Amino acid sequence: MIQRAYLDNNATTPTDPRVVEVMLPYFSDKFGNASSRNHAYGWEAKEAVDHAREQVAELIGAHPNEIVFTSGATESNNLALKGLLNEGNHFITCATEHKAILDPAESLAAKGIDVEILPVQSDGLLAINAFKKVISDHTRLVSIMMANNETGCIQPIKELSTITHSNQALFHTDATQAVGKVPVDVNELGIDLMSFSSHKMYGPKGIGALYIRKETKIRSLIEGGGHERGIRSGTLNVPAIVGFGKACELCKQEMEEEAKKIKMLRDKLEESLLSIKGTQLNGGIENRLPNVTNIAFTGVDGERLLLSLNGLAVSQGSACTSAVVEPSHVLKAMGIPDQLANSSLRFSLGRFTTKEEIDFAIQKVTAAVHKLRK
Amino acid sequence: MRELKTIIEAYKQATAEGIKTVLATVVHVDGSSYRRPSARMLVDEHGITTGAISGGCLEGDALRKALHALVQNRNVLISYDTSDEADAVVGAQLGCEGIIQVLFEPMNAKDPMNPIQLLEQIIDSQNPYVMVTLFKLKDKRGEQSGCTLLLKDGAKTLGSIDDSSLQEAILKDAVTVFEEKRSLFRAYEEDQTTHNAFIEYFAPAVSLVIVGAGNDTQGLALMAETLGWNIYVVDGRPSHASESRFTSSCQIIVAKPEEALQNIPINEHTVFVLMTHNYHYDLSILNRILPYDQVPYIGILGPKKKFQRMVDELKEKGIEISQEQLDRIYAPIGLEIGAETPEEIAISVLSEINAVLNGTKGTFLRDKQGHIHTKENTQFDTLKI
Repeated sequence: MIQRAYLDNNATTPTDPRVVEVMLPYFSDKFGNASSRNHAYGWEAKEAVDHAREQVAELIGAHPNEIVFTSGATESNNLALKGLLNEGNHFITCATEHKAILDPAESLAAKGIDVEILPVQSDGLLAINAFKKVISDHTRLVSIMMANNETGCIQPIKELSTITHSNQALFHTDATQAVGKVPVDVNELGIDLMSFSSHKMYGPKGIGALYIRKETKIRSLIEGGGHERGIRSGTLNVPAIVGFGKACELCKQEMEEEAKKIKMLRDKLEESLLSIKGTQLNGGIENRLPNVTNIAFTGVDGERLLLSLNGLAVSQGSACTSAVVEPSHVLKAMGIPDQLANSSLRFSLGRFTTKEEIDFAIQKVTAAVHKLRK
Repeated sequence: MRELKTIIEAYKQATAEGIKTVLATVVHVDGSSYRRPSARMLVDEHGITTGAISGGCLEGDALRKALHALVQNRNVLISYDTSDEADAVVGAQLGCEGIIQVLFEPMNAKDPMNPIQLLEQIIDSQNPYVMVTLFKLKDKRGEQSGCTLLLKDGAKTLGSIDDSSLQEAILKDAVTVFEEKRSLFRAYEEDQTTHNAFIEYFAPAVSLVIVGAGNDTQGLALMAETLGWNIYVVDGRPSHASESRFTSSCQIIVAKPEEALQNIPINEHTVFVLMTHNYHYDLSILNRILPYDQVPYIGILGPKKKFQRMVDELKEKGIEISQEQLDRIYAPIGLEIGAETPEEIAISVLSEINAVLNGTKGTFLRDKQGHIHTKENTQFDTLKI
């Protein structure tokens, strides 16, 4: 019998050993600075970065020159929003976005940008009609996340980008939870800018990317050295970039099979947990990631529940706000009452999730819920 | 051809001094670019370059890639996308919109398939050759075979490919290349891999026979030499046709018209210019070269009246110039560029020959519809093997 299980892959994933392996030489033997233009140490590093950039671009159907490496999705989101919006611009986003969109949006609003935060329906999807009503030719940017980190809900990106483009605005998406889990093609989906991160897809932490469609002009937030075509200065984190590239390559190769396997395990977990009385699924059952389920356990305090699940790693609300005791803003936006939102847990599976872990989780949660309800 | 000669010279000198070199070859261009496939540049270990693969926009990066290939001692394939204006590598450029594939091959003097040694063999010969360079566009970081086969007169003379079905397919395509006299790009698809081949056609160098060794042909010979052509200077006057008066690569023939052509190989790459200022000498040579149907160009200096007199005189002797022959005669010689001085005339004549050999009109490019270079035949036609 196993003693612990990790079902918090939407918070972060373990780095795949195959990724670690390709990264290692770039800490020691191949330590060169990719910007050293005039010796072999630099060329070696540059070659590795070029290769990684191709691997990253390949996964999302982009051109390598459209990829800017950043420290992660939070930075990518900040860069996309602050690099594009000017005083007086109209910006549309939605209530279930990650704080990495909502917080910059708030600070932009304070600087005179006209920020519009749209509500969502009970299934988590953006109401298209409400969107159509507020968008106009004054809109500069629309940012709607591809897949929600808490519910896995996938927004109709293509439809949204089409409406956006017909109003001559740009479309950004925070695709951190989607890239590597489901097929994402920036051209097919009509995406102009896209944030994503390495550590959500079995790559190392501290590295991510912003996809910027060719000929989209963006202002840099970090200056000094002109790295990444001047859009993001700072010596490139070569080992992490190499790892990110490899992680993308592996996702490209294995995503299809992996998603099937993970979905099967997720469905089993979900079915078992929903068979407990007084439970409900948060969000729609369609249009969502194959690896997440978000379940409300009526009458049980979520935090109390988490602490009684000794050995099982799951989360309540999104990981980044877990320092604050407040019901999840995502569930709230979907119209779920605070008390129920506080009784909800997110289970997120991954590449390395086993059947044993699922059985362990079912057993632990079932026992804990029964015990806490007594 | 001239550029190849300087590359070969630079290679020989470097090798003799024990200096390592890398050959960069443009193996494919998709779109427009200043230099076309076949353009080559040699880089030695000190970073000294000979030849060029672009109009200057790629050389800086290509130099570094070449040196890196040398450090790694392996063939490397690099793509340059000149359509991307924001690209830091390509930087300021001509506004060309093309994707250029450059293969970097470190040279090894002991390798029988050393491309530079093969190129030397090719340009020293009067025969057409085909060189096959293999690479993998879909696996740019994988092993790039590079120069693998050499064919002469339609048959393989050097090199071999382990994969017999691939070799067979390439040899078959090479036959077409010899027939059509132009290079071919091909993607051979096998189960797992796609082999890209640049099946490169080398026409024998143009031989220019300059009939007349006056002061005005000295400049012509000098300029033709820079094109890498073989030059023959023919005249009856030893005082004029002397080695001291002409550039060193010229072959000087002092002879009467009836003996003048004996030692000149005449084929479809041989062109003539009649510039003796001696009516009878020119006429006599014309009379002797008319029967060679394969000669694509005969230029005659002087006004239309002079040529008409030649036609009439030959007719009196019972020699009728056919329309087909007239089509190959350019009299008065040269393109209309307002040439007055011998050097200007030389430019006018060489431009005309170049246009005739390439089947173009010799007019302003700005008046041309569409692309500068003919776009046909630049795609990788896929063949399953």
